[in-house]
Amino acid sequence: MKSTLASLKTYPAIPIIAALAVAFSLFSPYFMTSGNIEAMLGANAVVLIAAIGMTFVFLIGGIDLSISTVISVSAVVAGIVMAQTNSVPLGLVTAVAVGMVFGAVNGILIGYFKLTPFITTMATQLIARGIAFVLSQGIAVKGTPFWVLDFGFMSWMGIPAVTMVGLVLVLVSVFALGKTTWGRQVMLVGSNPNSARYAGINVSFIEFSVYLVAGVLAGVAGFISIANLGNAIPGVGDTLLLIIIGAVVLGGTAMTGGEGSIERTVLGVMLLAILTNGLNLVGIPFYDQLIIQGILIFFGTWLAMKFSGQRAV
Amino acid sequence: MMMNRAADTIAATDAKPVLSVRNLSKAFAGKTVVDDVSFDIHPGEVIGLVGENGAGKSTTKNMLCGLLQPSNGEILVEGEVVPHIDGPAHGISAVHQELSLFGSLTVAENMCISDLPGKPARVDWREADRIAREQLEFLGIEIDTQATIESLGSGRQQVVEIAKALLHADRVLILDEPTTSLTAVEREKLFAIIDTLKARGVAIIFISHFMEEIYRVCDKFIVLRDGKQVGGGYLSDVPQRQLEEMMVGRTIEDSKIDLHPPGEVEALRVQGLSAIDFDGIDFTVHKGEILGISGLMGAGRTEIAEAIFGLRAATGDVFVKGEKVSPITVKAMKARGVCYVPEDRRTNGLFLNRPVRENLSAAAILNFVTRSLRGIGFRGEKARASDVVRERDISVPSIENHVSDLSGGNQQKVLLGRWLSMAPEILIFDEPTKGVDIGAKFDIHATIAELARAGRAVVIVSSDLPELLHTTHRLLVMRKGHIVGEFQREAYDSVKIISLAASAGNGSNGNA
Repeated sequence: MKSTLASLKTYPAIPIIAALAVAFSLFSPYFMTSGNIEAMLGANAVVLIAAIGMTFVFLIGGIDLSISTVISVSAVVAGIVMAQTNSVPLGLVTAVAVGMVFGAVNGILIGYFKLTPFITTMATQLIARGIAFVLSQGIAVKGTPFWVLDFGFMSWMGIPAVTMVGLVLVLVSVFALGKTTWGRQVMLVGSNPNSARYAGINVSFIEFSVYLVAGVLAGVAGFISIANLGNAIPGVGDTLLLIIIGAVVLGGTAMTGGEGSIERTVLGVMLLAILTNGLNLVGIPFYDQLIIQGILIFFGTWLAMKFSGQRAV
Repeated sequence: MMMNRAADTIAATDAKPVLSVRNLSKAFAGKTVVDDVSFDIHPGEVIGLVGENGAGKSTTKNMLCGLLQPSNGEILVEGEVVPHIDGPAHGISAVHQELSLFGSLTVAENMCISDLPGKPARVDWREADRIAREQLEFLGIEIDTQATIESLGSGRQQVVEIAKALLHADRVLILDEPTTSLTAVEREKLFAIIDTLKARGVAIIFISHFMEEIYRVCDKFIVLRDGKQVGGGYLSDVPQRQLEEMMVGRTIEDSKIDLHPPGEVEALRVQGLSAIDFDGIDFTVHKGEILGISGLMGAGRTEIAEAIFGLRAATGDVFVKGEKVSPITVKAMKARGVCYVPEDRRTNGLFLNRPVRENLSAAAILNFVTRSLRGIGFRGEKARASDVVRERDISVPSIENHVSDLSGGNQQKVLLGRWLSMAPEILIFDEPTKGVDIGAKFDIHATIAELARAGRAVVIVSSDLPELLHTTHRLLVMRKGHIVGEFQREAYDSVKIISLAASAGNGSNGNA
């Protein structure tokens, strides 16, 4: 009993996921089929990868509003490079490099120049969106190599390849956060940046590196979006911002820093994935879904607060 | 009531006291911070409330202005027992150390903010201006009611705060350290206003560190020490030296412990260290020596400690074991075995929502773990953290508990444990026993003495003078950013030290 309570405290999303899964399988016979689960996993790979980056940012008490449009601009630039060269590795490297540049700009401005994360990343969000539309002239970039399209359809034991990429990144991130000095310093800076500075931790570098990592992950997510959709779409990430933030928050990572984990975010992504998928199956229209998602975020945040008993502010 | 000790010491005059307190006490979570305070104050009288930092002055003030409910004792307003002070109803107002003005609003708006004339949707600003003007005129102060607060100097802001306070409650005025941010001229003006208020029959409770001010302004005094009222009466009967002795309490003899004689080898030398908050600081600490830095709040002590540790920009040189450190950064200082335990452990020391284990290993992770790959793995951390918990005698159910679950004393021990795990050779402590209970205080003092005996150099910055007298070999006295005195343990004289640190007369002219 006590361990159940302890795990609820760590993973407040679990009861909601369980309730939703039970409800949707009662309402729709298709919900629990392997085909539906595979589709659900594939469709959320981009969100999962981007949400890992957002989790790191939340853990240091920051926010990165540019993740969504950095996904778009990375996809567009990588799409153009691949269309010209037909080289998939070069496309991947380009997507990562574009993400890294945006992450570095955010990181330098926030970590070293001490600008506020909200304003800084709002500005880079605009810039990234602008570049994506200027370079693509507002239309999907054609000429994606066939290998990338094939990769989008590949799956192994019912798990799509794009989701596999996400899971590998989850494992690497869990390791980085839990088993390295860097990960420990991320948690400490998030818990109290003053104390971190007094303890001799290089707070500016930690902040810089976290935004850099978030940028890189957004770049990877951009590349994955090409595999998912077949083309680089200039607005592909733009609408994902609130879903990414919602997934991290519902997973139980605090916006105030120093509390949360990658594992929680995985559950948060699952929760929103199940919700969207289930509501679609049941036949609820898109805009009605938004209302339900919003209410669920209230409820999930309240539940997280209640179980952890710490974030009651 | 007739036999009351304090009532005897402060003789009642013929008039009825406007405010009386009897055996006032306050305890927080079982810890008594104010114990048995009693006094009477009559119209037109000024009582000085004196005591060292942490003596209970602020708590007493907060009970008198209704912010805190006393745990025990009686409060009488005009001879009537009241269950709880209600400032406006009882005519009692307070001006706190931190001003409560809105910088971008005008003087008139600020003065009337808590009771604006007119209707909520249609405030009568003209009437507000008239009220403010009348009040300032009544007090004989010339300030433009339409000026914004931020355009005024701190002296005038203070006066506006007082005028505002007296607008709704003008029988008893409590002033908490009103002169800390004022220049000598502004201070004189404030004293003139206090004299005016006195003549108008306002009773004033004046809280201050500065002896000169107490003697300049007050008729009577109450001395608090460790929460207890240890003296009171008319200032005319008591010379300054005697008052200071009451404040400091313990004579030096009964508070000294045996310290091992310090070594001769230089450990830390500071030369010509200067910044905005301090100027031309020179001192040397030897191996095995405990050096105290005393002074009032705002004297620049913490700023110096932070500058030495590389947390604050400063010019001048710092030498560790004879070798000049350049540039002075936290990293460079840690690498040379210097550590700094900050004053405000919740703000600058601890990671409250992280486990005790992580708090312990935060400064020297490599001393906690065994690693085969650089930067990766935490093998051994738990065992080492448990050892530190045992060594430092920290009482906590598990090393995985959040550090916020611990008491103040145990939190301080965690912080101490963190830095001692670095095996430091030079330790700088800032207020090492602030807000900890007596038992933890004793443990921390013993630890410091033990560190010195083992050859470490220690610097202690503290507002708690008895603590410094008790634990140090040598003492520097600071005032307004300068070192103004140095004492060897044999020559410790608390009264001399206090008057050196507090004599505002000399300090205000900015002597070098």
